[in-house]
Amino acid sequence: MEIITAILSLSFLAQMLRLMTPFYLGASAANFSERGGVINISIEGFMNLSAFSFALFSIITHNVTAGFFISILINIIFSILFAFFTVKLKINQIVTGVGFNLLIAGITKFLLVLIFNSSSNTERFEGLPDFTLLQSIPFVGSIFSDYITIFCFALIFISGFILFRTKFGLRLRSAGENPGAAESLGIKVRLYKLYGIMISGFLSALAGIWLASNQNSYSDGMIAGRGYIALAAMIIGKWKPVNIFFACLLFSAFEALEITLQISGTDLPSQLIQMLPYLITVLVLIGFIGKTKPPAADGIPY
Amino acid sequence: MLAVEFSNVCKKFGNFSANENISFGIKKNSVHCVLGENGAGKSTLMKILFGMHIPDSGSIKIFDEEVKFSSPHDAIAKKIGMVHQHFMLIDDFTVAENVILGNELTKGIEIDFKSVNKTLGELIKKYNLNIDPHRKISRLSISEQQKVEILKLLYRESEILIFDEPTAVLSPVEVAEFFNVIEEFRANGKTIILITHKLNEVKQISDKVSILRRGKLVHEEENVNNSMDIRTLSSAITGNATLSETMEKAGVQENNVIVEMTDIKLKRENVKILNGLNLTLMSGEIYGLCGVEGNGQNEIIDIIAGFENNYEGGYKNESENISLVPDDRIRKGMISEYTIGENIFLKNGKTNFISQSTLENISKEIIKNYDVRVSDTNSNLGSLSGGNQQKVIIARELEPGNELLIFSHPTRGVDINATLFIHSKIIEERNKGKSILLISSDLDELAGLSDRLGVLYNGKIVKTIDSQELKNGFLKAGDITSNDALNVPLYEQIGKLMIGITN
Amino acid sequence: MSRKAKINLISISLSLAATLIIITLLLLLINKNPIEIFSIIFSEVFASGYGIGQTLFKATPLIICGCGLAICFHASLFNIGAEGQLNAGSFVIAIIALQIQDLPFPLILLICIVCGFVISGVFGLIPAYIKVKKDVSEVITTIMLNFIILALINYFLVDFFAVKSTMRTQELNDNNMLFKLSEFIPFFKGSSLNASFILAIIISVISYVFIYKTKFGYRIRAIGFNETASKYIGLKTNKIILISFFTGAGITSLVGINFIFGYKGFYEAGFSNNIGFTAIAVALLAKNNPLGIIFSALLFAILDYGGLSINQLVPKEIMLVVQGIIILSILSIDKLVTQYFERRGAV
Repeated sequence: MEIITAILSLSFLAQMLRLMTPFYLGASAANFSERGGVINISIEGFMNLSAFSFALFSIITHNVTAGFFISILINIIFSILFAFFTVKLKINQIVTGVGFNLLIAGITKFLLVLIFNSSSNTERFEGLPDFTLLQSIPFVGSIFSDYITIFCFALIFISGFILFRTKFGLRLRSAGENPGAAESLGIKVRLYKLYGIMISGFLSALAGIWLASNQNSYSDGMIAGRGYIALAAMIIGKWKPVNIFFACLLFSAFEALEITLQISGTDLPSQLIQMLPYLITVLVLIGFIGKTKPPAADGIPY
Repeated sequence: MLAVEFSNVCKKFGNFSANENISFGIKKNSVHCVLGENGAGKSTLMKILFGMHIPDSGSIKIFDEEVKFSSPHDAIAKKIGMVHQHFMLIDDFTVAENVILGNELTKGIEIDFKSVNKTLGELIKKYNLNIDPHRKISRLSISEQQKVEILKLLYRESEILIFDEPTAVLSPVEVAEFFNVIEEFRANGKTIILITHKLNEVKQISDKVSILRRGKLVHEEENVNNSMDIRTLSSAITGNATLSETMEKAGVQENNVIVEMTDIKLKRENVKILNGLNLTLMSGEIYGLCGVEGNGQNEIIDIIAGFENNYEGGYKNESENISLVPDDRIRKGMISEYTIGENIFLKNGKTNFISQSTLENISKEIIKNYDVRVSDTNSNLGSLSGGNQQKVIIARELEPGNELLIFSHPTRGVDINATLFIHSKIIEERNKGKSILLISSDLDELAGLSDRLGVLYNGKIVKTIDSQELKNGFLKAGDITSNDALNVPLYEQIGKLMIGITN
Repeated sequence: MSRKAKINLISISLSLAATLIIITLLLLLINKNPIEIFSIIFSEVFASGYGIGQTLFKATPLIICGCGLAICFHASLFNIGAEGQLNAGSFVIAIIALQIQDLPFPLILLICIVCGFVISGVFGLIPAYIKVKKDVSEVITTIMLNFIILALINYFLVDFFAVKSTMRTQELNDNNMLFKLSEFIPFFKGSSLNASFILAIIISVISYVFIYKTKFGYRIRAIGFNETASKYIGLKTNKIILISFFTGAGITSLVGINFIFGYKGFYEAGFSNNIGFTAIAVALLAKNNPLGIIFSALLFAILDYGGLSINQLVPKEIMLVVQGIIILSILSIDKLVTQYFERRGAV
């Protein structure tokens, strides 16, 4: 019963909203890429990469800001490499995504052992500084306590604006809907696909950084499938920024529930609790009524 | 002054010479038609003019200035615009978004929708285009979509407008509307280039005609007072004296009902596609289904082929298996990566295990029996020409000897010889007693082949015309050497029915 | 040789060469001696019967899993859930085997193979069904199922089946184990190489014939090339997709035979060590050709076993990096080589 009261509390809601951050950033990352017509299932790998590089460089340079920027830079470089495979070479996007995920997993595991002499985690480090301005305000203060979360909430509105009201957004979407038509009007379709992928790299970098900063370390497997859940959120949210937000809330709710259950102690077996987010994802995808309608030329190499 | 001047333009694709030393001029403020059969090189030449292809040699002058285009962007900058045969529109975008893409009016990084709507409104009014800029393309009719394409050109202040087979998807009444718009352009000083193969339309509207055959310019003629002789044009196009097909149809024997559709209703994505359709297919008969694309043809096929079960109404199908030759070869008709033999075996294979030599033998059989022109028996089906691909697909579908055959636009994009071959095969099957559903947008093809003709409009058969009426009503409609082909009453009536005008 | 075979040979050789170069550079970068590393790998793997035997032993599950994935991949079904599927089947095999130990050994094997196959197959059927009915990508659903299955297995182990303070099931009796190949071929003395290897080769041959020489195989590949056309041509695409996914997933369960009946005699959580993912790379490198998979599995087994042997000098995880580089290089180089040939001659 304490569980029920715990759930219906404001602090649960606040936690839910905070935990939504990596999901929403991941889902937006995937969305910008898919709006340009490129399916990007390596969001998980990119989050993994940025989490690790953020931890690594923050520790090495003893400077969290340096770690932040280097991590973003590395992700953008990898995203350009991803674009090389999918846009320039026109290799199957799903296979490429799987390949990148495996490579990045290998790199992080290898460097983890090589540099930190551990196959499970790095040492602890000081995360990103908190955003303290609103700290005194109850509820709101606990949500908006770090810069990335604030950016994430702003992103809900910024994404919509960029996609639907700017020249860039129109052209990006045309690349994903009908690249032939866009090309006939002089739009450099492949360039816009690249832009979409780079934005993808940037946003997933923020997600990984947020996770590592929150945990004050990097550990093997810490992304735990959030990158894939983010993809599901994008589909459920029908590739629209505001709907994606609500889909992400659903998943972060279950993550918050998982934490609450573990803290309050319950008879439910821990493995089954851990299983919940993934099970929910599958159930929601199955129960999802109505055909999913991605950008018309999504996944088609052009 | 010449708006466009081609000088010795050449373009090859591999070994295939699409354009060979093309030289001619297009006068400013004229309507110039470029004629030729499929594969003659008309589209390629115009795509070069629009910057989509780069010529191997030769030069192009626009308003006396030599130009070298590397992309449509350059052509658009020189005030050239092109409306393609297959519209380049984004279904999910609005009319306005489609028109402005690439040339957006902006206020900072934001699109200035207010100015956009104002500009478009003015153009729509000036040229009587009658479309709503806020509607999504997916909700527009084909002829409305064409108007969007035209609006794209006007928005960019194109002075030279190229139209690739503009009337291919329009009903006769819409064609007349289209020509009115062309006249408006002419009155406003614009230069119009029409790529077409429809001679009677050419006679109506053009100032001058250039005819291409097999990549070369073979004939040029001015149309003074609309006095052009279609016969001369037609021989220049085909190089033959006549084009009329004489097809022997055996007498209609005993007919059994093979398919009966009664009051069929079907919705797709909440849009009513079939609205009380009544259709009967009989054995030993070719039933021609005529209509503008998008009026339910594909849905009828889906029901008969068994892909669609969510319909209401009575449906009886006596045939066990169906043979279907679909409209889009590459997407629906074949596996491009497989050889001829593999494509056949895929559907008709009798054994569970198969060897390379057996597959090769199958390929060789088909090549022999269907006159498939190919150098390597083991080449992928994707590397063959359209006509040869279609022959293989038809071979595959005819082999099982099914009672019911569906042909959807069987000669689209197919050269003349293959077309004649395919037509003869269809008649041959009919004479064997099969039930044939022929769907086409080519009224000549339908008139020449059908025993009965149904006009499809808005998901209903609005009129059925039997073979007697066809014989009487069509005055040699399949013979384009007749100058009166457009004036035959039945033909006209069908055209009106196709877009819903009943009187 | 045919043009396709030529392209394959060139691209595989070039990718392996490219990977070798990249790894050499990487080793130099971290101040290790590549030559020393390569020679240790070489000597450990090839210089003794034990080394070769261990390599073949490690290749066994990769061959099995790779062939299962190849069937899915040919239908353009991106089965990323092999890890979960094989664990589900293997776990069930172990549980059932313990219950029927008194039966004649061949019967035990048969029952276990069938049950394991069905269980894994069902976990492949789920994402296939979702794809067919709801048009949801199998990529996400199979990955989610990985997490779900492993969590479920953990739960059942901890709460019901595991031996106290371990994460494994009870051990089978000695007489209910497959023979080691060293019993017949003394060359492999000491190695865990067992009869499952023969099973793996048989699976590879059967898969090859199935995919390339049967009508059903042609239909699977047709769907992989063009699902829309396959439907219009008259193939029952949904049925074929379901069967392919079921079969491919089912085959992965046989990995359990190698570990349970051929090696340890029990199921242990984590035994698979991400074989389900490595097998993706194995299948890709072999272009989804089951016979080729034998060789790419051997390559990855060499890397895996070799990795262990150099673990003192350089973390064995470097082999994961090698795997990743192989995947990306085969993908890119294959595309480049194909494009080069297309430009030179008519397609």
